[in-house]
Amino acid sequence: MDNNVRQAYEECSPEKDIMRGEQSKGLLHEIMRENSKLDEEIKKLEAELQSNAREFQIKENVPERKLKFTSVERPEDGDHFSNSSCSFQVNSQILYEVQRGQALITFEKEEVAQNVISMGTHVVQMEGTSVKVSAHPVPLSTGVRFQVHVDISKMKINVTGIPDELSEEQTRDKLELSFYKSKNGGGEVESVDYDRKSRSAVITFVVAGVADKILKKKTYPLYMNQKWYNVTVSPFIERRLEKYQVFSAVSKKTVLLTGLDGIRVDEETGEDLLNIHFQRKNNGGGEVEVGPACHLILTQLLVERTAIPRPCIFWAITTTALVF
Amino acid sequence: MSVTLQAVLYSLQEEQSRLKTRLQELQQLKRERIDAPRDKIPFPVPEVPVVFQGLTKQSGQAPKSLVSNLKICCPLPGGSALITFDDPKVVERLLQQKEHKVDIEDCRLRVQIQPLELPMVTNIQVSSQPDSHRVLVSGFPTGLRLSEEELLDKLEIFFGKAKNGGGDVETREMLQGTVMLGFANEEVAQHLCQIGQFRVPLGRQQVLLRVSPYVSGEIQEAEIKFQQAPHSVLVTNIPDVLDVQELHDILEIHFQKPTRGGGEVEALAVVPVGQQGLAVFTSESS
Repeated sequence: MDNNVRQAYEECSPEKDIMRGEQSKGLLHEIMRENSKLDEEIKKLEAELQSNAREFQIKENVPERKLKFTSVERPEDGDHFSNSSCSFQVNSQILYEVQRGQALITFEKEEVAQNVISMGTHVVQMEGTSVKVSAHPVPLSTGVRFQVHVDISKMKINVTGIPDELSEEQTRDKLELSFYKSKNGGGEVESVDYDRKSRSAVITFVVAGVADKILKKKTYPLYMNQKWYNVTVSPFIERRLEKYQVFSAVSKKTVLLTGLDGIRVDEETGEDLLNIHFQRKNNGGGEVEVGPACHLILTQLLVERTAIPRPCIFWAITTTALVF
Repeated sequence: MSVTLQAVLYSLQEEQSRLKTRLQELQQLKRERIDAPRDKIPFPVPEVPVVFQGLTKQSGQAPKSLVSNLKICCPLPGGSALITFDDPKVVERLLQQKEHKVDIEDCRLRVQIQPLELPMVTNIQVSSQPDSHRVLVSGFPTGLRLSEEELLDKLEIFFGKAKNGGGDVETREMLQGTVMLGFANEEVAQHLCQIGQFRVPLGRQQVLLRVSPYVSGEIQEAEIKFQQAPHSVLVTNIPDVLDVQELHDILEIHFQKPTRGGGEVEALAVVPVGQQGLAVFTSESS
């Protein structure tokens, strides 16, 4: 609550007008309490909204790729290859679904495109009719890009389902004793990282390759408390993201033109006419991109309920605009 | 009622009406949030220019993301050799027999043949959230004549100063087209985001840059499947009897012979006993 208000309230001398003072003070007190409650509610809602905003998920199926051998690297000075790894870059595809009566035109220069957009409406002559066309930036969605790195250890394994019967120290020892036995597929153990609460452990072996052998099966025999148990073994995998970037895609050279649904010419003619119009500097335009610079969509929409394939545009993320 | 008390009362009533309005705003936002699609990001994000690629008449079955730069690495043990063949059928044939005998002059090398299991991520789930210690700096003009190092230095200098609203910079990274700065103090990061825009000297020019909260990502799940390298086999248990070059030649000669189950060898790499190697695989089309 406002400090000044509080100060004024506290400084109010009751001696001047005792009866009235008491009543007014009571009222003030009441309002202050209400305000404080409101403030609390506001803070709670703010925190809730913020935490809702926090999570937003991306779920992607990584398409299958054909792999080919490229090279064999040799370790540099004391480097140890202890992991198999998989890494790749993920970029969102940014799409825009073009609606009927819309066209996209791409200019050679950004300034031309921006100028066309800022001019707003353009009157294009199409075989005797004046067509009012509006120019807009292409509304594109947000995208994300990141690098995924997954490392699968050749020297460590995860063990779960470890019985809780002995002390922590003893269990650790039992784990080491079971996992070093080569007759069971084990090997010399470098360290055991045991977490009693989750009944799991990470076993690190001295030599690479033991992990693979053990992981051929899903369980491993653990001898503890004069009994044999089967604990579950799984690969020790580290996953991380790098260079994670959320961005909003903007197209600087392409312009969306709307208002073309009623025109009487076909798509090809329409595209040509638009090209001609927008190449003229007098019309606020300029040179258009080489190749099909203009795409006009006039396909009749079917009345059936089946999904209507709409032309989509694939955009790749490039940073040709930024040069460092 | 005294004048002072009246003033206080008036002030409190005003505050209450302000608080009520704010509460209504938030309640409305909460209602809207529930309807809003989860894909939309509720905080400002930097703009990245993209280029129009083309028109396709496909329906909404387009893949949502592009995977590129796929690289898979597999350590190779000492005393092994990785042989890559032109024809995957050769690999299939060779793998039918675990043990192979390679002839060298008058003796034989007994070796083993294994497939190479390559880890592949088949599904990835990433959740993102704003990182309160980090900010994203964007709005760099094109044609900026600074190297990555120079740019990062200048930004760290500028945003490291309290007089600019900044503070101790702990981490810095160049992401494509934008820069991420991590501060020791999260209040500094938040303060900078609130200011939003800064005129920063970069070399000869003063550039207007935008500072927004940095969203960091975390892998929630990454489904991994192992795929056998289709064109390669790993020959293991090669004893330490020959030098690398000799071994290379002998193995190549042996495994090229169809009578030995082999075929045209595309590549052969030997990892001598006591050493290590890392086999690198990439995807065929990037």
